[in-house]
Amino acid sequence: MTQYGRTIEIGPTDNTSNERTPRHPLHLIPDSARASFAPYAPYNYGINPGEADMTRLAAGRPRADGDPIKVTGTITDQFGRPIRNSLVEIWNANKHGRYTHIEDQSGLPLDPNFLGIGRTISDENGNYEFWSIRPGEYLARPDIGRWRPKHIHMSIRGGSSRLITQMYFNGDPHNDADPMRILMGDNFDKNIGKEYDTPGKEFDCGYQFDIVIGGKNPTFFENDIA
Amino acid sequence: MTHSNIKSNLLTPTNEDTLGPYYPISLCDNDSMDLTKIRSGIINEPKGEKIIINGCVKDINGELANGCLLEFWQTNSDGIYRTPDNETHPDLDPWFIGYARNRTPDGNFTLTTIKPGINEELNAKRAPNITLTIFSDGIMRVVTQLFFEDESSNENDPLLRSVPEELRSRLMIKNDGQNEEGIKTYKIEIIMAGEKETPFFDDFAS
Ligand SMILES: [Fe+2]
Repeated sequence: MTQYGRTIEIGPTDNTSNERTPRHPLHLIPDSARASFAPYAPYNYGINPGEADMTRLAAGRPRADGDPIKVTGTITDQFGRPIRNSLVEIWNANKHGRYTHIEDQSGLPLDPNFLGIGRTISDENGNYEFWSIRPGEYLARPDIGRWRPKHIHMSIRGGSSRLITQMYFNGDPHNDADPMRILMGDNFDKNIGKEYDTPGKEFDCGYQFDIVIGGKNPTFFENDIA
Repeated sequence: MTHSNIKSNLLTPTNEDTLGPYYPISLCDNDSMDLTKIRSGIINEPKGEKIIINGCVKDINGELANGCLLEFWQTNSDGIYRTPDNETHPDLDPWFIGYARNRTPDGNFTLTTIKPGINEELNAKRAPNITLTIFSDGIMRVVTQLFFEDESSNENDPLLRSVPEELRSRLMIKNDGQNEEGIKTYKIEIIMAGEKETPFFDDFAS
């Protein structure tokens, strides 16, 4: 007997979402096959010093344009257990909304001092931090005037934990029309970085972005995350 | 404590989000799509039959799905996954990892690997398979599991059996001859959406 799980929703006004979202409900996985769906990524990342500071290309180089910000958080599973030694990959647009990615043909200004790519590793308690420039919004659908709100892309990978998500900013006027924000509904709150003051620091402010990795995958190999 | 109690104490997960179109290509610099080499410049090779799988990911219009991040996960030739609980298993192959990833610029991919096997003790009923996770613009992570069309063990595989019969062929990696070096080649087409859509699985609800 076939059993079905979620049906993935198509992001409103998102063409790529329309082209790539499966129409059929997802199939449930029988228990005897479930563990095989938890990939175990090897810990082979060599992080270079300075990769968590995206505000400069390297120590001693000039700071990129825009507001420097600090992002901090704890990565846990749904039981609140810290997910440690996880690779956190970060990418975001510069203050003008332009990525350094070779396929970003928007023509928006580049910043000679900004790469927009960073990496860090969560510590023994699941904590991570990095520094970046508050990204600019960018026009995603010029034909209908829909923007992507300010956001920072993040990927978390370690052991069997896997999450790719985006951190959004409270009060961004473009949040409400964002296709994925619409799909998140009330849960959108989980994807907003909570702003806090950083008095006396050379940063505009900090954002607390705690990450909870859902599902069973992170709990399969508990030795790893206990 | 009842099951519902346990559930209500769970933290609400952070929402997954799309990969977006601009996943940094350089972040895959240390990743390999050749699982027959545990690192570059090493003579040792894993046990088993070396194979090459040429594949592609397509959208609802049959167009290649560019810019996807693909992750592959499989057992070694003895059916053992390289997970912490198998660390001391006698059939763990120290020269095989089983995890590959790649950002495909145009939607095509080539995975060079060892044909996954069956382990009679740990998972006797599981047919050889490769788990594929796709991250893409426009959609959150989707996962599926791919099988080999010529395997008699497919008949008893609990996952394949759970999928309606008429859809099972869409999960089959197909024979495609061999290359000039005599290495067996395979092909697979992943269709993300539409009439001929590949079956995807729910690893949250199950
Ligand atoms: Fe983006």
